[in-house]
Amino acid sequence: MRRAHRSAHRALWPVLALAVALGLGMALVLRPPPDPATPQGTEAPKS
Amino acid sequence: MSAGFRAVQWNRTKLVYDAILVAGVMLYIGSYLILAHWLDPPKDLLAAVDQRIRAFGSCAFIMVTIILCIGPLARLDRRFLPLLYNRRHFGVLTFLVALVHVGFMLEWYALQNALPSLYDEFTKLSDYAKFIGFPFKALGLAALVILFLMAATSHDFWLAFLTPPVWKGLHMTLYVAYGLIVMHVALGVLQYDRNPLIPGMLIVGFAAVTGLHLLAGWRERAGDRCAVSSGEGWLKVAPPLAIPDKGARIITGPDGERIAVFRDGSEIGALSNLCAHQNGPIGEGRIIDGCVTCPWHGYQYRLVDGCAPPPFTEKLATYRVRVSHGVVEVDPRPLPPGTPASIRI
Repeated sequence: MRRAHRSAHRALWPVLALAVALGLGMALVLRPPPDPATPQGTEAPKS
Repeated sequence: MSAGFRAVQWNRTKLVYDAILVAGVMLYIGSYLILAHWLDPPKDLLAAVDQRIRAFGSCAFIMVTIILCIGPLARLDRRFLPLLYNRRHFGVLTFLVALVHVGFMLEWYALQNALPSLYDEFTKLSDYAKFIGFPFKALGLAALVILFLMAATSHDFWLAFLTPPVWKGLHMTLYVAYGLIVMHVALGVLQYDRNPLIPGMLIVGFAAVTGLHLLAGWRERAGDRCAVSSGEGWLKVAPPLAIPDKGARIITGPDGERIAVFRDGSEIGALSNLCAHQNGPIGEGRIIDGCVTCPWHGYQYRLVDGCAPPPFTEKLATYRVRVSHGVVEVDPRPLPPGTPASIRI
């Protein structure tokens, strides 16, 4: 990689990693409690 | 070997690589579906399609994770270099697996005549202001577009057309795609399915990618320090015999670009550390059959003048070298590509 690519990689990569870690952490903490009446994996919209 | 437009050249190594890739994907998806069918037999076609969505989706996630780990692994241990050789095919296959995942998702909606509700999910703007409830499929779609662009431009024709720096920049958006995929899963299936394997897969994958990149980056930092100058602007490298035979020492010039100083027996020469193909780290390669060989895809250059052997036409910038007081020194001003500059000691 050229110096410019290394610099961009080193500057942007940690920002992206922190953003994803934060997003993943929030998604885990804020997810709604399980609904015992709903069978898992069949009722919710699919990805 | 030329960066010009030509038909894809298959060789035994590429065929073996691709066969292992396809076999691995088939094994994963087959095992997933058999196991899912055994543990939770689908009650109807809808549930069966749901299992296929998950099988292909998780496979694509694992493949992107592995692709992102290959770079730092190859830096940390040369034994992983063969994985890098045909990484582009890995990327194209990942796009295809992700595309099948989307295909089954569309089928899931179509089976219920609910395709309009899928359209509503994408166009309900108020949901884009939420965190939990964000239209996670939009994140997946954005990642799929990036994977498509990478797959569509993966051929060497596009590498030559866009030039290696632009092509490399485009293909580094895989990191953005990875972030989008993690959030696609985190705001999607993770929100309504309490299977601990889902957060486990996300956390272990993300930790592996970040951990390996941090480790490789930490190991690389030392290489970015500018080499010591001899006082006349020449950079000190090492005593001749301290440069590994058939290998190189990599130093960094005052402009931050790296220079690979190779020794082939009694011949010493310095080349740009950027391979003409994909700007791979030529100094991490070896001299094979008398030619400096890039560790990424095997592009070769003569040590004497940085030219690829005929009939190939690639050339690397060379640097003047000398031995002063028993130490190899390099003039950091690059010579025009293809200029003979190596010396005999």
